[in-house]
Amino acid sequence: MVFTIYDGLFAGLLLLLAAAFITPLFAAKRTLAGSLNFAFCLAAGVLFALVSIAVLSGGAPAEPFVLKVGALAIPFLIDGFSAVFLGLIALMSTLTAFYCIGYMEMEHYRHYGLADFLRSFPVFIAGMAGIVTVDDLSTGFTIAWQMMTVASFFLIRFDHHDQAITRSANKYLLLMELAWVAIIAAAALIPHAGLGTPLHALAEGLGSADTGLRTLSYGLLLFGFGMKVGMFPLGQLWLPDAHSSAPSPISALLSGVMIKTGVYGIVRTLFWMVPEPAQHLEARHLGLILAGFGVVTLFIGTVQALKQNDAKRLLAYSSIGQMGYVLLAIGTAHWFVLSGNPLLQSLAVLALIGVLYHTTNHALFKGLLFLSTGSVQYATGTKDLDQLGGLLKLMPITALVAAIACVSIAGIPAFSGFASKWAIIASGLLGGKSAGVIVLFGVIALMTSTITLALTVKFYGMIFTSAGVEWSHKGGVREVGLVMLLPMALIAAICLVQGFFPGFFIELFVRVFAHSEGSLVQALFADPATQASLTHSWAGVGLTLGGQPVAFVMPLALLAMLTVAGLFAAWLRRAGGAEQRQAPVWLCGYQTLNSANSYTSSHIFAAFKNFMWWTGGNVPRASKV
Amino acid sequence: MNPTTEYAWLLVGTNLLLFLIVAPLFEGIVRRVAARVQSRQGPPLWQPLYDVLKLLGKENIDATGILPFRLAPLVALASILCVVAILPVAGRATALTPYADTLSVICLLTLGGVAVLVGAFSGKNIFALIGASREMTTMIMVEPILFMILLLGVLKTGSLDLTTVLYGTPAGHYGWAGLVMIVVALFALQAFVGRQPFDIAEAEQEILGGPFIEYSGPNYALFKYYMMIKQMFYAYLLIAVFVPVLHSGLLGVDLIAQMLLTAVVFLLIGLLAATHPRFRIDQALNYFAGLFVLALGAVAGALFG
Repeated sequence: MVFTIYDGLFAGLLLLLAAAFITPLFAAKRTLAGSLNFAFCLAAGVLFALVSIAVLSGGAPAEPFVLKVGALAIPFLIDGFSAVFLGLIALMSTLTAFYCIGYMEMEHYRHYGLADFLRSFPVFIAGMAGIVTVDDLSTGFTIAWQMMTVASFFLIRFDHHDQAITRSANKYLLLMELAWVAIIAAAALIPHAGLGTPLHALAEGLGSADTGLRTLSYGLLLFGFGMKVGMFPLGQLWLPDAHSSAPSPISALLSGVMIKTGVYGIVRTLFWMVPEPAQHLEARHLGLILAGFGVVTLFIGTVQALKQNDAKRLLAYSSIGQMGYVLLAIGTAHWFVLSGNPLLQSLAVLALIGVLYHTTNHALFKGLLFLSTGSVQYATGTKDLDQLGGLLKLMPITALVAAIACVSIAGIPAFSGFASKWAIIASGLLGGKSAGVIVLFGVIALMTSTITLALTVKFYGMIFTSAGVEWSHKGGVREVGLVMLLPMALIAAICLVQGFFPGFFIELFVRVFAHSEGSLVQALFADPATQASLTHSWAGVGLTLGGQPVAFVMPLALLAMLTVAGLFAAWLRRAGGAEQRQAPVWLCGYQTLNSANSYTSSHIFAAFKNFMWWTGGNVPRASKV
Repeated sequence: MNPTTEYAWLLVGTNLLLFLIVAPLFEGIVRRVAARVQSRQGPPLWQPLYDVLKLLGKENIDATGILPFRLAPLVALASILCVVAILPVAGRATALTPYADTLSVICLLTLGGVAVLVGAFSGKNIFALIGASREMTTMIMVEPILFMILLLGVLKTGSLDLTTVLYGTPAGHYGWAGLVMIVVALFALQAFVGRQPFDIAEAEQEILGGPFIEYSGPNYALFKYYMMIKQMFYAYLLIAVFVPVLHSGLLGVDLIAQMLLTAVVFLLIGLLAATHPRFRIDQALNYFAGLFVLALGAVAGALFG
């Protein structure tokens, strides 16, 4: 018997569904049930990962597969593009399940039964795996979307004694169903579409539709998937509330993986469902419109994030912002590809690589940031940045992994956000005059990455360094256990790899698009000239156009330079033979009692927050600066 | 190693030495100019270097006992030294220029700012936090302006390679967008170098040096050195972008010409600093927003004009 990739996928899905029935039986024994949940997730994750690796390394065009359940036919297709997302889901869900074993022991959660949680967790993951592997927008899509949505609804409302949390969860459910209706309606509008019509047939149907209908379909699809991905103004409606209500590992999954299914949907729509006749008509402008939404999303989302004092709300808004980068890149790539200009088309390659690169990077570092916040919440019982601080000494390992996540999201040279944002911004800028307004979008994106930096510094500073006198005075705050540290450390390690070796990832993503059948860009990516234009060495990646290296990102070279220069600085610091002494900051004698006199998260960047009041997402200030 | 790579490595060394030695001298010029404006004699031109040397031998007080506090000065100085090593001075790429494009250099410059912030955030001193908050706010507004100044070169040459961006376009080819950008650059100059009226983050008379308040001895010396080199970098950048290289064929001649021009920029910095009172941060934000819009207009003009 030959074991196909679809056998692997279905075995994984069945394992997860079985877990949903079996693990709740052990809910009374929390650690055992958590471990069992992890074991199932691990088994399914390994299967998914094997499928993903088989597809990504094989490079052979994947055959579609139709699953017949009674009268229903559900088409599945795992191509390279699906495989990237499937691998991401496998990785993050397994590590998060491991983290949950420890996290659900939290004091605050003791009086909540785990049965619902354990039932929903595997279904949620199965739903996400379904979304990225089914090949229709009707039957299979509905089943997967509903599994994902309903299960995540129960996970978000886990802490259901708090009314605000159930309200957020209800709102989430409502909006996700609205998104579902929009997508289903879009698919139903397409001529010749029925239950279980595969995507390529839908694309052909769109080709024969008239302009108005097609525009409506694209609009509905972008609305539906845009809702999921957190596009402005849709993301603001649900994302911050849902993310801050859910238990932290669930937030990590929501932000790390679930919203990426929206990216998946939008890329599939724009690059697989724009048939030849539409490319010269209204679909020509889809990319520019999406890029416009992307740039607004990234700017507004990030500025709103800067204003938050709740650690998880801050991260949630920042997820909106980061997804804005991805939307900008998708739009840029689409517009460039259809422009017919060879220069812009080679830049579209870079932009699309940026899409996948930033998506995978964000999955890891944002997941890690939510898990670190979870650990902080576990140890201190709060996620309020105004109250936290000074945890670096008390929770050194959490502080270290959070630092890695922070430098990654901030795009500090050599860490993961650096290379992926480089791909997105550089591709926009290098188009020059022919790229038009995209260049201005690039400027805004670059400015926003400085704001991202500011909010990261605030997030890290307010939790791990700065004041926090109360904690060190009160005592009782301890580093979390190994069960929670281990998955965080693993994610941190992967984050570093993502940052240091862009060559590997860029080559992988080129292969993904080159081998995924039926997309607008397959020929472009399969072109040897494209592959030759992206040169990579030990140090990083360079883009060569017209024989000249025009842009390059060399994380390891920069890291080496910084290290050498840092060693010189360290030598210089010791060269004078100065004496060292430790002395606490002079706080007028009130070393542990100055909490009323501390500079908290509400005060930081106050002038800038006031200046940006018009972007919304304002938080009432506790006191005046 | 063939002679050209040897030459390129020699340029790395030249750059580093040049900035390490001349940056304090330029700082000295600013102090002397300020003194003359205020009818004082002023310190010797090398006084900033003497200050750094003296600080290196003073007691190093660690006010927090955590790693970020000790790491911050190292990262700050290291990042600006990397920028200098990468910078193609007088139109000639160094051995390290091919490893960083314009975006990387901007990120490295930001890293220096971040190091200052991290140092400030690691203590419990409120003045440090206020200063850090202002520093970051300034950085958010000023960084894109710097970037847009370089962007004109990117648009003209279609490349992000630093040598091409800085020297690839003759100054005349920028048109009116270039003129607007020179104005923007001059108006943003004091903010780039953190001088009055934009020394809001340190504001000695108000928040006692802001982010650096808890630093002493060698740690503070590293920060001081970092700031002097950063200041020289920005002053030099204006010359590199807007004034064509002499192209005399001799590195020494080109370099001296550029350094003399940079010294003129420093005279300007000193004069402006001595004659302008400090802005409040909210006033500064409005000012930067105006410059930002102006610069964006110039970029749009270059794009669609």
